[in-house]
Amino acid sequence: MGTLFLAGLNHHTAPVEMREQLAADGDKVRQILVDLAGAGVLDEAMILATCNRVEICGVGPVPGEAWRAAFARLGAQHGVGLATIEPLLYAKTDDEAVLHVFRVAASLDSMILGEPQILGQVKDAFALAQSAGTVGPVLHALMSQAFGVAKKVRTETEVGRLAVSVSFAAVELARKIFGSLDGKAVLLMGAGEMSELAARHLIDQGAHPVYVANRTWSRAQDLARSFSGIAVRFEDALATMGLVDIVITSTAAPEPIVRALTVRQVLHARRERPLFFIDIAVPRNVEAGVNDLDNAFCYDIDDLRSVVEANLRERQREAHRALAIVEREVQRFGARLAELEVVPTIVSLRDKLEAIRRGELARALGRLPAADEETRRVMEALSQAIVNKVLHTPTVKLRDSSRAGHGARFVELVSEIFGLKGAGGQPEDRGR
Amino acid sequence: MNATLYDVALTAYIVATAAALGYLLRRREGLSRLSILMTQLGWVCHTVALVLRAVERGRPPIATLPEVVSVIIWVAVLLELWAEWQYQVKVLGAFVLPVVLMLGLALPTGLRALITEPSIRSAWIWVHVILALLGLAALVLNFAGAVMYLLQERQLKAKRPGRVYYRLPSLETLDRFTFRTLTLGFPFLTAGLLLGALWAGAAWGSVFAFDPVAALSIAMWVVYAATLSGRALGAWRGRRAAYLAIAGFGTLLLMLGVGVLIQGRHGS
Repeated sequence: MGTLFLAGLNHHTAPVEMREQLAADGDKVRQILVDLAGAGVLDEAMILATCNRVEICGVGPVPGEAWRAAFARLGAQHGVGLATIEPLLYAKTDDEAVLHVFRVAASLDSMILGEPQILGQVKDAFALAQSAGTVGPVLHALMSQAFGVAKKVRTETEVGRLAVSVSFAAVELARKIFGSLDGKAVLLMGAGEMSELAARHLIDQGAHPVYVANRTWSRAQDLARSFSGIAVRFEDALATMGLVDIVITSTAAPEPIVRALTVRQVLHARRERPLFFIDIAVPRNVEAGVNDLDNAFCYDIDDLRSVVEANLRERQREAHRALAIVEREVQRFGARLAELEVVPTIVSLRDKLEAIRRGELARALGRLPAADEETRRVMEALSQAIVNKVLHTPTVKLRDSSRAGHGARFVELVSEIFGLKGAGGQPEDRGR
Repeated sequence: MNATLYDVALTAYIVATAAALGYLLRRREGLSRLSILMTQLGWVCHTVALVLRAVERGRPPIATLPEVVSVIIWVAVLLELWAEWQYQVKVLGAFVLPVVLMLGLALPTGLRALITEPSIRSAWIWVHVILALLGLAALVLNFAGAVMYLLQERQLKAKRPGRVYYRLPSLETLDRFTFRTLTLGFPFLTAGLLLGALWAGAAWGSVFAFDPVAALSIAMWVVYAATLSGRALGAWRGRRAAYLAIAGFGTLLLMLGVGVLIQGRHGS
């Protein structure tokens, strides 16, 4: 069996100019894969090309030869020589390659830790390699486990969950205050890209209704329509505050329009149910004293940014936990790969005995033309039982040996004794 | 046997507490599982210890104040396990178990204490004690919820999310939890205290009878009653409710402490 390898460059090792030069569309990648497999430099391969990384992962007799050939082809598109690319590349084999693949799929190697797009890109790259016919049992096992690892990391850690944008951070804070946002009313004062985005996210989480106040009445009506909300005259905005749970402010007012005194009265009127202010305006629309009131929370744009920073640090901590999961999975893959090397032998052993059984059964039944249905059934069952019992021990021993790390020896031994052709992990058997 | 079992239970609670606090800071799923497992183990040992004691004495194990505290812990741990599962608040243990442990360790004599058998016993006393201790156990959770609320509220106000911020549930959940535990515990507490007062009036001719535990119980009841009515009337929620829950629990601890240390009518 060839060696599992990975080679490539990413946002850590190569500047964006270089990554751009190596980027290739699907057809080009498929062509390269087909050519390389045809030239016999590799048995299996897939190429992942995104704006942050270009990597090849595969199985081949001489990894260095395989990935050099691949990057020479990728570079040739824009006339970049291998000599220029090679110093930027990292190359890994076996467990290290597996670790890298799992980390990439789980988004632990991404520029923004835990961003979700990379998994889709890995899946696409795998599908592309499948369509090129360069996916064999090893890559298949590797990638199906990588997808599982990514899912596990996503569900068991918070690495991809905490908001890394200001508008999402605002939604997350709202959830920390209110729990569910279902039926929580929102008041949007003023307009602006970020405030509208925050409102949109809140609506996605179940918040409704949305009141929109704007100094320009037609603008308020337009926005209200786009949110399926209710337009409010700007003079009535403060009165509307009593009806809502979340207030987003982003007006161009030169000084605060929401005063602590007003908020205190509003809170009293709503029986002290919490009120959350998201103040995106600069200068601020909400007086600083509002945050000091019981059950009122006010975050301005700087506060939201520092929450995002804290979230990124927390993602970093979560990434450490995720890495522990990934490392365990690498171990498991090692065991699975070892098993993969004995599976073809087990299959051909079973095929061989089954062929013998069928042949002998047919012969014996040929000599018993008068045999009734009952006799035939008993003989069929008898032959099957013998084959299964004979197969049992060698099968178990082969699997055990692979787990213990000396599968190759057993494969050779069993193939020799039973005269199995092509066993021992030769390519013609590995396609199964 | 009995004392050993009690020690095993206490040790399990100690490990569970450490694991729960570790989980709060580090979020290793293993720690959470260990904490729950040790809590369950401790609770089972605790149960057996209580049953053995009851069999040995031929009466319910709630005749002396240390015994009562032991049963309060027992009920509180059971409630904690239930609430953690019900509310899916995995960090609850980190706030309830330290209180449980503090109560448990504050009883150096614990179940081993050779306290003279109480002389006056009637069925009413048993009911009084059982109702009161069920109420007190729920208030242990009420206290834990209030502490969690204040912690989370402070993080949200200060706008500097620390590790605990990410583990704790929303303010709304915590506020609801604190309120629920109070509404759960308060009726038991009220009925228990009322029975005690009626009985004391009949037996000693006076509700208080110069007993410090009875006086502190009334003070505690007033705090909790104020919290509830303040909430019902509107404004007292969130932080104010949490402060009151902590004040109520302070009185509760004082009451238990005085009861254990001073030989009043409850100390017998």
